[in-house]
Amino acid sequence: MASQTEVKVQASKARQVGRDFSDRFMKAFIHVNAFMVVVSVFLIFAFLIKESLPFFQQRSVKSLILGPSWYPLEPSDTFGALPLIGGTLLTTGIAIVIALPLGVLCAIFLGELAPSRLKNVLKSGVEVLAGIPSVVIGFIGMTVVGPLLQEKFGLLTGLTAFTGGLLLAFMALPTIISIAEDALHAVPHDYRQASLALGATRLQTIWRAVTPAAGRGIIAALMLGLGRAIGETMTVLMATGNAANVPNKLFAPVADNSLFMSIRTLTATIAAEMGETPQGSLHYHALFALGITLFLITFTVNTLADLALHRGKR
Amino acid sequence: MRSHPFSALGRVPAVDGNGKRKLEMTMAQSKTESKLSARDVTPITATPPPPVVKSAHNTKARTKFRVEDLNFYYGKHHALKGLSLEIFEHEITALIGPSGCGKSTFLRTLNRMNEVLADTRTEGRILLDDVNICERRVDVVELRKRVGMVFQKPNPFPKSIYENVAYGPRIHGVKRRGDLDEIVEKSLRGAALWDEVKDVLKKSAFDLSGGQQQRLCIARALAVEPDVVLMDEPCSALDPISTFRIEELMEGLKQRYTIVLVTHNMYQASRVSQRTGFFLMGELVEIGPTEDIFERPQDRRTDDYIRGRFG
Amino acid sequence: MQAAAPAPVSSPETSALLGGKRPVWFRIWEGCQYGVLALSTLSVLLPILGISWFLASKGLAALNWEFITKAPEKQMQAGGIMPALVGTLYLMAGTFLFALPLGLFGAIYITEYGRGSWFTRILRLAIVNLAGVPSVVYGLFGLGFFVLFVGGGIDKMFFSQNLPKPTYGTGALIWASLTLALLILPVVITAAEEALLSVPDSFRQASLAMGSTRWQTVWNVVLPSALPGILTGMILGLSRAAGETAPILLTGAAYFQSTLPDSAHSPFMALPYHLYIISTQVPDIDQKIPWGTALVLLILVLGMNAVASFFRARARAGRRW
Repeated sequence: MASQTEVKVQASKARQVGRDFSDRFMKAFIHVNAFMVVVSVFLIFAFLIKESLPFFQQRSVKSLILGPSWYPLEPSDTFGALPLIGGTLLTTGIAIVIALPLGVLCAIFLGELAPSRLKNVLKSGVEVLAGIPSVVIGFIGMTVVGPLLQEKFGLLTGLTAFTGGLLLAFMALPTIISIAEDALHAVPHDYRQASLALGATRLQTIWRAVTPAAGRGIIAALMLGLGRAIGETMTVLMATGNAANVPNKLFAPVADNSLFMSIRTLTATIAAEMGETPQGSLHYHALFALGITLFLITFTVNTLADLALHRGKR
Repeated sequence: MRSHPFSALGRVPAVDGNGKRKLEMTMAQSKTESKLSARDVTPITATPPPPVVKSAHNTKARTKFRVEDLNFYYGKHHALKGLSLEIFEHEITALIGPSGCGKSTFLRTLNRMNEVLADTRTEGRILLDDVNICERRVDVVELRKRVGMVFQKPNPFPKSIYENVAYGPRIHGVKRRGDLDEIVEKSLRGAALWDEVKDVLKKSAFDLSGGQQQRLCIARALAVEPDVVLMDEPCSALDPISTFRIEELMEGLKQRYTIVLVTHNMYQASRVSQRTGFFLMGELVEIGPTEDIFERPQDRRTDDYIRGRFG
Repeated sequence: MQAAAPAPVSSPETSALLGGKRPVWFRIWEGCQYGVLALSTLSVLLPILGISWFLASKGLAALNWEFITKAPEKQMQAGGIMPALVGTLYLMAGTFLFALPLGLFGAIYITEYGRGSWFTRILRLAIVNLAGVPSVVYGLFGLGFFVLFVGGGIDKMFFSQNLPKPTYGTGALIWASLTLALLILPVVITAAEEALLSVPDSFRQASLAMGSTRWQTVWNVVLPSALPGILTGMILGLSRAAGETAPILLTGAAYFQSTLPDSAHSPFMALPYHLYIISTQVPDIDQKIPWGTALVLLILVLGMNAVASFFRARARAGRRW
């Protein structure tokens, strides 16, 4: 009898040890895992710096940011990213000018006015829009939107900054709508009640009480939409014509206007040129320099959005 | 206040514009009424009734609201059952009762704020100055101009003090800076807040204390120049000193406005109101001059509530 | 108390109550505002219908069994998309392999082991930052770190006999999968975290009180309940990965491969990259081929989203607590 109990006790002790071991092992494993996620962010940043440093050792930061000519072919290669930065700014600017009002108005309609069944249908629609891959949108831009605009405006080509900006607007819209809607939803119901009790109509309440109260969230929506548009690659690669001109003629008539010229963005440049660049060449490092510039821009924009979202709360 | 011969039953003859008497009875009272019909209604007391305290009901006051057999439904829930009562001008009418008994719901039918939440149904009539406000053709915006509301939790807009008070007039079309300045000052004085904020009108409303915020909300409501101010437990989120100041304010306000006050604090009701109505489970059990309700309630349930036998 | 003189019913006030005081222009103005709001919403949704219509009308013609099972022919001017489709599927599998443990265990750390700790805050910050990195920068990182640094290192250590021909030091399934896994990590972790948090603490407490270890609790009690939500996040992440081009551009996607990928270090073809190539680099192509490719890609991505939504609804409905 005693030996049987002993055996049982031994067996259960063994199980216990096994359990403890697996518990501690898994705990360590999970901690390592989490650590690796954090490390990867640092890795990304570190590698960008590592591979772009050689460029900055040979050319100055100023020549990158302000240089007006991007001509990577030797021997007289110049790596001035001004046209690229200009291209990014222009397309992003167009995108935001279109997407911000549309997005906020749509969010207002969805959040404040639409009956719940319609709202669900509309929200699903917006989610579908969010899911369309950027290469498909770029493709549609190239084959449908571009030629259409070319016809309507009598342009030389349909692949312009405007086309790119228009497409980017639709990629940024789901982000803007979703965050703006959250911001409107977060406005306390009390404000609406107080406004209605004073004799305001629903629309007056929306414009004068609810939307101003959601101000910070809407700014966050703007910033995140901006970040999305800046970082977008395939759409602009396929739809903007990829000519590295500095877009400085914005107020000229249509035929001359930079809006309707082909331009090139930072993202498209990296994507288009990296494949053919020998590793270790100056061009290679220049592209990494573009990469870190891009990363810093989006990082700043996203941090501002985060601040707007979280410092705004009382 | 003189003790009226009919006051023992909670029935007080009111006089309308034509000098006719109008009796109002609740459902509960009508039952008691039929039992007593044969009896002499003069109260038999050995000692004369106590002298006038605070609540004074002016029997010559005009009716501001007359509610006739009001039934109100939230979806399937029958929230208000067969309410009939009158609210008189330039008085404070208090509505008391345990939580969830319908007093706030009733208050919100008076300015049709209940419709803000979906799926409600109203049957019966509510007459404001002889116009039935339950009719569809009534302009709700205009109604809410005439009948203002102050909420339980102070809810100033996230704007400056000035902009909070000016919100209402702006909505209704007042644009000139001079006019707005005037209205803002007048309203803030009416809410006994002017002296405290007149130098800091641009500051955020959230910089004010709780009691000040509530007075700001009162000023905001007054700015649209209503006839009636509905107050839904305005002091429940405030400390006793702020409560006292608002009660003082109410006393002054009733000279110019009609006040309907919902409160879960019956001591407050007995302090400030001229008439009190007791609500229970969607019904108006009893209504009458405050003194009568508190000292000589007719309905057993009113008596139980006042004595604290249930909360 | 002021004595109330009997006042007649004042007509202007009554008529104001009964409507008609507000000017007509005001009503028209508000009507216009409603119109603008509705129009904005419509203009957001019309493109979706437009895109679907175009893709369907121009691409459906290309969809047949051959299209999906044959490789491109005649320098891509004809034929099917089979290698690209297969490549994408392999890529999904690889991404899943890397993103699942990294994402799931990261979320488990946040909700089960590190609640409230300072490291969790850093982890959250890291996730937010990962979410903000543009896709082409992921591509750069994949190239510089995975392909050249890690891959090159592996080559030097284990495959030096093959050099200078790279084995791992070039575009490959494994590097592209890792890159994509990092890209979708924020989506996966956030969804998994939400799913894990939705399991009530009382379950955990009950399990611990019975003498289970923390890991046993997680594995036996928390994970099964959170599974639908975790799956949702995973599928959403994978559908995002399926549509991405820039990250794989530099880390393994190939213009053309005559054979299907046969190992972790093979380059591969992929649907989104294929679409890019045939619409920009291949002249004289039968137009219905790129449209058909786009249509297949869209169906794949939206289909996965729909499945994810289905699981999300299941997750919410199945919760009986």
